[in-house]
Amino acid sequence: MDARRDQLESKQKNNGSMEQEHVQDEPLKGTFASVLILGAFIVVSWIGVLWLFIQRS
Amino acid sequence: MHIHRLEKIWLIIGIVMLGVFLVAIGIGAFAMGNHPPGHSSAIKLDPEKVYETPPFDNPGLEQIGENEYNAYIVAYIYGYNPGNIEIPVGATVHFYVTSADVVHGFNIPGTIVNMMAVPGEVNEMTYTFDEPAEYLLLCNEYCGIGHEYMATTITVKG
Repeated sequence: MDARRDQLESKQKNNGSMEQEHVQDEPLKGTFASVLILGAFIVVSWIGVLWLFIQRS
Repeated sequence: MHIHRLEKIWLIIGIVMLGVFLVAIGIGAFAMGNHPPGHSSAIKLDPEKVYETPPFDNPGLEQIGENEYNAYIVAYIYGYNPGNIEIPVGATVHFYVTSADVVHGFNIPGTIVNMMAVPGEVNEMTYTFDEPAEYLLLCNEYCGIGHEYMATTITVKG
């Protein structure tokens, strides 16, 4: 295990740019979509409540 | 520290949303005077001496302007004192509400008037009645066996 970790660390040190690219490509698209859907839900609910309040005041 | 591009986008969206919400609440509170009904309770009273404590020793409407009223109302099991309030259309009413016994509700459906009547506390809310109609005033906090009959009307005359 230790040998593998050393190998990985040296790889990271030697090839920083490759590693960076790898991080960029992490599949976060699904997470992003979920966050946007949740955000849209919160915004719509908030605006709905504000609209009700203004209508009735 | 490295932050993923998409992560940056959703962080910005979240921070902007929080900012917009806080600004809207700030405008409502400081520019438009919105506040929770129990915000100040300038009048404190002993819940067992409600009917001896001004202004609730004489509950009802008090005209304070051309078409502006203070309404001192006592909620009790199972009604409101006074019941059947009559006001002219366009009247602005400042409701001051307390309870003589248990916690009651004070709700005029279809308006923003919705608060609790708490023994020992005076809750307040202001509303302008622009439409001539019979408004229902009801209790929406379960207060006992006659809770469902606890209602009265506010008549706004055109």
